[in-house]
Amino acid sequence: MPRLMDMGLSKLTNVILQMAELSKKSVATSMEGFRSGRAVIDQIYQWSEELRELEDETNELATEIIARYQPVASDLRYIEACLAISNGFFRFGRYAYDIAEVLQMFGDLSNCEKKIVEETAATAEKMLQMSIEAFLKRDVELAKKIKLMDDIVDANYREHIGRSMNDPKGDLKCVLSTTLILRYLERIADHADYIGDLVVYITTGFRVTDFRKSLPLGQEQQTGKKAKLQGKPQPLYGTKN
Amino acid sequence: MLRGINLEIKERSITAIMGPSGCGKTTFIRCLNRLHELTPGASVRGRVMLDGEDIYSPKVNPVLVRRKIGMVFQKPNSFPTMSVYDNVAAGLKLNWVRDKAKLDEAVERSLKLAFLWDEVKDDLKKSGAALSGGQQQRLCIARALAVEPEVILMDEPCSALDPTATAKIEEAIFELKKDYTIVIVTHNMQQAARVADYTAFFYLGELIEYGNTEQIFENPNNELTERYITGKFG
Repeated sequence: MPRLMDMGLSKLTNVILQMAELSKKSVATSMEGFRSGRAVIDQIYQWSEELRELEDETNELATEIIARYQPVASDLRYIEACLAISNGFFRFGRYAYDIAEVLQMFGDLSNCEKKIVEETAATAEKMLQMSIEAFLKRDVELAKKIKLMDDIVDANYREHIGRSMNDPKGDLKCVLSTTLILRYLERIADHADYIGDLVVYITTGFRVTDFRKSLPLGQEQQTGKKAKLQGKPQPLYGTKN
Repeated sequence: MLRGINLEIKERSITAIMGPSGCGKTTFIRCLNRLHELTPGASVRGRVMLDGEDIYSPKVNPVLVRRKIGMVFQKPNSFPTMSVYDNVAAGLKLNWVRDKAKLDEAVERSLKLAFLWDEVKDDLKKSGAALSGGQQQRLCIARALAVEPEVILMDEPCSALDPTATAKIEEAIFELKKDYTIVIVTHNMQQAARVADYTAFFYLGELIEYGNTEQIFENPNNELTERYITGKFG
């Protein structure tokens, strides 16, 4: 039998899913602008503002649900996680805008080496997509994979920094623009990783500090709170209409 | 009927007992001070240990048990023909305390502990029945405290009270745990979440889960507990 609170949770889920699609579109468009040189900043700015409004809506909905229904256990964890996840999706939009700003500031980057940015972007966008799927399906295994991919993005960023520092004759425009874009992609990857951590929290009640150290893939472990790892995805709190 | 209950109540803390109607909450706490013995046909197997002693031992006087383990009931039951003062002092007088100074001190101390002193100090001769519901319940708490128990059992002490009166009782309970061990039966899960340090969930006469309140309400171990506290079964 549905509970009164289920309507609110369903609405909350729908707003989060809207944010997910919009943030994915924003990041993809910013990278399309990087590859093609097309001006994308105005469009991405508009989406970024929409994401801000949706984050506000999430906060209001979550507050209302808490005030009305005093949720506990899995409901409370879900709402708490949604608040953080909505901020994550908002941040994706902001980083997409930041990338678009770099493209606008630096202008023509056709002479710059694009490979490292494209590879890193592909990984970061995949992580973003996986974080959305992990949230939709409450997939703890997928969340663990996101964390492992974050290492690749971090490594790419550090490799670029190291190489740039050791190449004093490098094109400053290319070095700076690439550094900034990689930095924003690295932040996108971090937030995708964090969304994965929140999926683990929703499902198991376990707050991830460093998942790789505390929970080897496929195994359960006691921490201060007893973890309740479930291999199967949990039912959604409502689905998008 | 209760089965296989094995529960350690932590000293100087508040333990909430929650569960659906008929799960055995009241039966359980009435076993903790041998009050269930007053129910015809009731029996108990097992032990209830207090300070290392089994209260069901043949050597133990049940009246003394009920003095050490006081109880506050759902419906305030102040003695209607007695004043506020006499209500609180009743237990002491039954135990042959006659020294006026000691009685005065005990009455004031108990009423202060129950957060009622300021509201009644100017007229302690007022009838207990003339107090509001919330005040009467605090009077009952004061009465239980006057005989200096170690443990206070409370069977849904706020279910007949409005939110304001409930808040005052909860405030009193929160302060009392510094010196007393409190066990509170409640239907109100939010109350358990607000005041209790530990929470036990009973269902159909069995203890399903017991633990730190934060853990029970954030991440219960048992699926049945999860379903109950999230309202997925009544």
